[in-house]
Amino acid sequence: MTKPAKPDPPKGPSVFSLLTPYRRLVIWLLLLTLVSNAINLWLPKIVANGIDDFNHGHYDVQKILSVFLIAATVVFIFSYLQSVVQTYASEMVAKDMRKKLSDKISRQSYAYVEEVGPSKLLTNLTGDVDAIKMFVSQAIVSIASSLIIIVGVVILLFTINWKLAFAIVGIIPIIGGAFASVLKKVRPTFMKSRGIIDKLNKVINESILGSALIRVINSQQLEYEKFVEANTEAKNLGLSVLRMFAILIPIIIFTANMASLTILALGGRFVINGSMSLGDYSAFSSYLAMLIFPILVIGFMSNVIAQATASYVRINMVLDTPEKPETGTVTEMLKCDITVENVSVVYGQKPALKNISFTVNAGTKLAIIGPTAAGKTQLLYLLTGLIKANEGTVEFDGRAIDSYVKESFHSQVGFVFQDSIMFNMSIRENIAFSDKVTDESLAKAIATAELKDFIDSLPNKLDTLVSERGTSLSGGQKQRIMLARALAVNPKVLLLDDFTARVDTNTEIKILKNVEDNYPGLTLISVTQKIASVEHFDQVIVLMEGEIVATGTHGELMATSPEYVQIYDSQQSTSNYELQP
Amino acid sequence: MNYNLNDISAQQGKSSTFKALKKLLQLIGEERGTLILAQLAILTNSGLNLLGPFIMGYTIDHYIFAPVRNYNGVLQNCGWLLLMYVVVFGAGFAQSRLMGGIGQRMLFKLRNTIFTKLQQLPVAFFNQNKAGDLISRVNNDTDKINQFFSQSLMQFIGTLATMTGAGIFLLAINLKLGLATLLPGLLILIFTKATAAWVKRKNGLNLKSTGGLSAEIQESLNNFKVIIAFNRRDYFRKRFGEANEDQYKTAIGAGLANNIYLPVYGFFGSMAQLIVLVVGAYLISLHQFTPGLLISYLAYAVNFYNPLRQLAALWTSFQVAMAGWDRISQILELESNLPVVEDNNGTGSPYLLEFKNVFFGYPGGKEILHNINFNLERGKTYALVGPTGGGKTTTASLIARLYDPVTGQVLLNGKDIRSYKPEERAARIGFILQEPFLFTGTVRENILYGNEEYKNYTNQQLEEVIKGAGLESLLAIFETGLDTQVASSGDTISLGQKQLIAFMRAVLRYPDLLILDEATANIDTITEQILDEILSKLPPTTTRVIIAHRLNTIQNADEIYFVNAGEVIRAGSLQHAVSMLLHDKRES
Repeated sequence: MTKPAKPDPPKGPSVFSLLTPYRRLVIWLLLLTLVSNAINLWLPKIVANGIDDFNHGHYDVQKILSVFLIAATVVFIFSYLQSVVQTYASEMVAKDMRKKLSDKISRQSYAYVEEVGPSKLLTNLTGDVDAIKMFVSQAIVSIASSLIIIVGVVILLFTINWKLAFAIVGIIPIIGGAFASVLKKVRPTFMKSRGIIDKLNKVINESILGSALIRVINSQQLEYEKFVEANTEAKNLGLSVLRMFAILIPIIIFTANMASLTILALGGRFVINGSMSLGDYSAFSSYLAMLIFPILVIGFMSNVIAQATASYVRINMVLDTPEKPETGTVTEMLKCDITVENVSVVYGQKPALKNISFTVNAGTKLAIIGPTAAGKTQLLYLLTGLIKANEGTVEFDGRAIDSYVKESFHSQVGFVFQDSIMFNMSIRENIAFSDKVTDESLAKAIATAELKDFIDSLPNKLDTLVSERGTSLSGGQKQRIMLARALAVNPKVLLLDDFTARVDTNTEIKILKNVEDNYPGLTLISVTQKIASVEHFDQVIVLMEGEIVATGTHGELMATSPEYVQIYDSQQSTSNYELQP
Repeated sequence: MNYNLNDISAQQGKSSTFKALKKLLQLIGEERGTLILAQLAILTNSGLNLLGPFIMGYTIDHYIFAPVRNYNGVLQNCGWLLLMYVVVFGAGFAQSRLMGGIGQRMLFKLRNTIFTKLQQLPVAFFNQNKAGDLISRVNNDTDKINQFFSQSLMQFIGTLATMTGAGIFLLAINLKLGLATLLPGLLILIFTKATAAWVKRKNGLNLKSTGGLSAEIQESLNNFKVIIAFNRRDYFRKRFGEANEDQYKTAIGAGLANNIYLPVYGFFGSMAQLIVLVVGAYLISLHQFTPGLLISYLAYAVNFYNPLRQLAALWTSFQVAMAGWDRISQILELESNLPVVEDNNGTGSPYLLEFKNVFFGYPGGKEILHNINFNLERGKTYALVGPTGGGKTTTASLIARLYDPVTGQVLLNGKDIRSYKPEERAARIGFILQEPFLFTGTVRENILYGNEEYKNYTNQQLEEVIKGAGLESLLAIFETGLDTQVASSGDTISLGQKQLIAFMRAVLRYPDLLILDEATANIDTITEQILDEILSKLPPTTTRVIIAHRLNTIQNADEIYFVNAGEVIRAGSLQHAVSMLLHDKRES
C-alpha cells in the first residue's frame, strides 16, 4: 500500500496557504477576534480604575457600571459573532476540501484507487480533513487572540510598571522552552500512534466484513485477542504520551506561580515605598492570570498546526497526483472489431498476462476458458480499460482504446463483474447505473436478465432498497442484477466474467437466448468455466498462467488442444444431463 | 430482532446524561484506589492554589496596605508561598499522571467492551447495518470519548475542584458578597442545563452524518471499478456531494451550538467582577470589608469564572463525547438473538441433522422457508439444487445457526442445535460461504484461521498435513505457497483463489458436517475434480452438503434435495432433480 520510501518527502505548501481562498472570512475572523480581545483586556483596567477611584474617594458607581456593562456586552456580541464566523469558515474549508478530494479521486483510474487503497483515501477524506478543520476552527483564532493578549498584556504591564513587567515577562521563555522540548519528544509518538490506530481499524474492519465467517468458525476469541493486542499498544502509547505531558502543565503552573510570587515580593515593595498604587498592583495580578492561558494555548496549537500540516501534506499527495488527461478524441460508435496485440500486464510484481494476441470480429462470440488464476479477469479488465497494458496494444476498430473518449467508450461497453457489487440504493438505481438509461432500455434489460418475475414479486417492485453488500439478495439474483446493469446501457460489446457460476443452467440458457434475441449484433466476450454453454461460440481462447495456449472453435480445439480436451473431459460426465431437456 | 441502529436511535427516547455517565463510569469501577489518590492530589492541588490569593490578600492588608508597613512580613509570606507552590507542583504532576492513566485505561476497556459486544452479535446485526457506519461508530465515536477522557477529563475535574474551592472561599470570606458574586454562576448553570439536551442532539446529528459520509465513501471506493466501468464518476461525485452537504449542515448546526458557551460564560464572568466591584465597594463603605480583601476577592472571582471559560470548551467536548457514547450504547444494549438453550434430549438420533417443521423469514421480510422437514445421515453426501433465490443459502445458514428458525427446530445429533455451545457447534459444522472472506495476511494465516490444532506447526509440518489431506495441488496455485501475501480487499488474488483458500480452511478443520455453498463456483472444472477427490477422502463419517448450480459438482451425491420457493423436496435421482430444475414452476 505504501510506496517505496522516497528520499525526500514531498514538501507541500504551508498549511496556511490553504486559507488564501477564504481570505475575507479569515480577515473578518481576525478583526472580530482583535476587537473582542482588546476590549476584554480593558476590563481589568476598568476595575483597577474603580479601585483606585474608590481609594481616592471619588468613586462614581454609575460611570463604572455603565462603562463596564457596555464593554462586557460588546465583548459578548463580538465573541459570539467570532464563533459564528469561525464555525462557518472551518466547515466551509472542510467541505470544499472534501469536495476537491472527491472530485480528484473521481477522475482517477481504478488502478490508482487500488494502489493507494480505499482505506487510506477514507482516512484522507475523514481524519485528515478533520485535522485541517481543527486547525481552521481553533488554531487561527486561538493563536491570533493569544498573541493579541500576550502583546497587549505585556504592553499594559510595561505602562503600569516597567521594572515589575521585566520580571514577569521572564516567564514567557521558560514556558515556551518547556513546551518546545516536550512537543519535540511527543511528535514522533504522534506519528507512531497513527500507525497503531490504523492497525486497530484494520482489525475492526475485517471483523465487520468477515462477520459471517467468524461466526461459522466461532473465532470471536481470536479476533478479540488480535484486537486486545492492538488496543494494548494504543494504551501503552497513550500512557507514554501522558508521561511527557503530565510534567508539562505543573511546570507551567509552577512558573506562573513564581511570577505571582514575584509580583507580591517586588510589587509589595513598590507599593510600600509608594512607587506603585494598590490598584495597579491588583491589575498586575489580574493581567498575570490573563497571560498564562494564552501561552498554554499557543503551545497546544503549535501541535494542532503540526498535525494539520502532516494531514495537509497527505491530502496534497492525493490532490497533486497527475491525472491521466482525457486523451481520447474519438466518439464514433463502436463496431467492435477488437485487436489485442502482444499485450503483457504486470500486476504487483508478477506478470499476469504474457504476450497475448487475438482478434474478435464485430458481432461474434468469444469465450475465454482456463484454470483458476490464469489471468482471465485481468484480460477483461484490459478490454474495458480498467487496467493498462505494460506492453502491447489493445485496439477497437483499428484505434487504440485510449483514443476513445472515455465516456463514449464506457457507454458502449457492458461489463458483468465476477464478484457481486451492489449499492445501497433501489434496484432501479442499481440497474440504471448510468444516466443514459431510458425506461425502455431498463425494461428490456430486466426482461433479458429474467428478473421481471422476481422484481414484480417484491412489495416495492423496482424501488425496493438493496441492502449494503446486497445481503438481502441471493447470489444468483445479484448476478442477474449485475447483468441487467450492463445491458441497460445498450452496449455494443458485453463482457461476462464467470457469469454462469452463480446462475442455474436453466436460467442461464434462457438468459443467453434472450441476449441473442434482444440485442442482435452484440459482440460477446465471456469468461467461463463451462464448455457446454460456449460450444457454439465463434472462437474459444484457452488461457493458462497468463498465456494463450490455444485458440479456435470448439471443434478445432477438440482436435488440437490437449488442455482444452482435458477441461472438456472434466465436464463430460454431466454434460449429457445438461443437454437433455 | 431489529438490529438496524438507525431505526433504533429513532425509537429510543432521550437518555439522561447522568444515567449515561454513570454507565460510563462503571467502566472504571476497579480504579477506586487510584481514583482516591488522584482525588487527594486534586484536592491538595486546588486547595493550595486557592490558598495563594488568600495569603496574598492577607499580606496586602497586614503588611503592604496597612498602617504599619512591614516588608519582612511580605518576604516571610513569600517564603511560605514558595513552599506551597513546590507542593502544588508535585500534586499537579501526580494528578495528571493518575487521572491520565485512568482515562487511558478506561478508553482501553471501552474499546474492548465494544469489540466484545460486536463479536457477540449475530450475523443479522451486520447485515442490517452499513459497514462504514459501524466502523465510524467504533472508531470515530470512541475517539470522541477518548478525546474527552484523555485530554479533557483531567482538566474538567481539576477545574471543577478549583471552582468549588473558589466558591467556598467566596462564601466564607463574606457570605453576602459571595452570594452576589455567585449569582451569575447560577445563571450559567441554568443556561447550561437548559441547552445541554439541544447541544447533545446537534452533536448526535453531526456524528450520524459523519457515519453516513463514511459509509458512502466506503461503498463507493470499494466498488470503484463499477463506477469506472459504467462511467458513473459523476454519480459518485453527486452522491458524495449530497453526503458532504449533509455533513456540512449538521456540522454547522453542531458548531454553532457548541460555540455559544464561551461568549455566554465570558459575559457572566465579567458580570461577576462587576458585582464584586460595586457590591464590594459598597460593603467597604459600610466598613464590612477591606480593600485587601477586595483584591483577593477579585482574584477568587477570577478563579471561579476563568475556569468557567475553559469549562465552556470542556463542556462542549463532554457533550460531543456523550453524543458518541449514545451511539455506542445503542450497540452495547443489543443482545444476541441466538442464546444457548437447555435441551436434555439424548444424543441417540440416527440422523446427524434434522429439520423439523422449520419456518423462517428475515426480519421485516417475507417468509422464505415454509415448513421444511428433512434428515441428513452421517457419512452421506447431500446436494441442494434449485433456482437462484429459492432458499438454498438460507437453509444452509440455519444449519450453521447463523440464524434461528422462526418456528420449528433444527436438531444436531438429536439435540436442539440451539443447545450446543458455539465452540462445539463450530467444531462440528463447517460452512464454506458463498462469498469467501480473507484476512489481510498470508495464505498460511488464512488457512489456519481459527484452527487450534495446527496453529503452532512449522511450515514444513503444515505442508505435510496439507499433503496428507490431498490439498498440495491447491496450494501450488499460490506463487509463494503458504507465505503468499493476500489482502482482504482488492484484486490481488482472484475469486477462484479465494475460494480455494476458504476450501482448505474448512477441510483442515475436519468437521462432522461440511456445507459448501457455491463454494467452488469460480474454480475451473479440472481443479474442481481435485476438490471432489479431497472431499471423498474426508473421514467416512463426514456428512457433506453441497449447494451448486453446476451438475457435475453434485453427481456423486447420495441424495439430492430440490430447493425452490422456500420448499425442500427430495428428488429421487439426479435425473429427477434435473427435470424439476428445468420444468418446475419457479419463484425467484
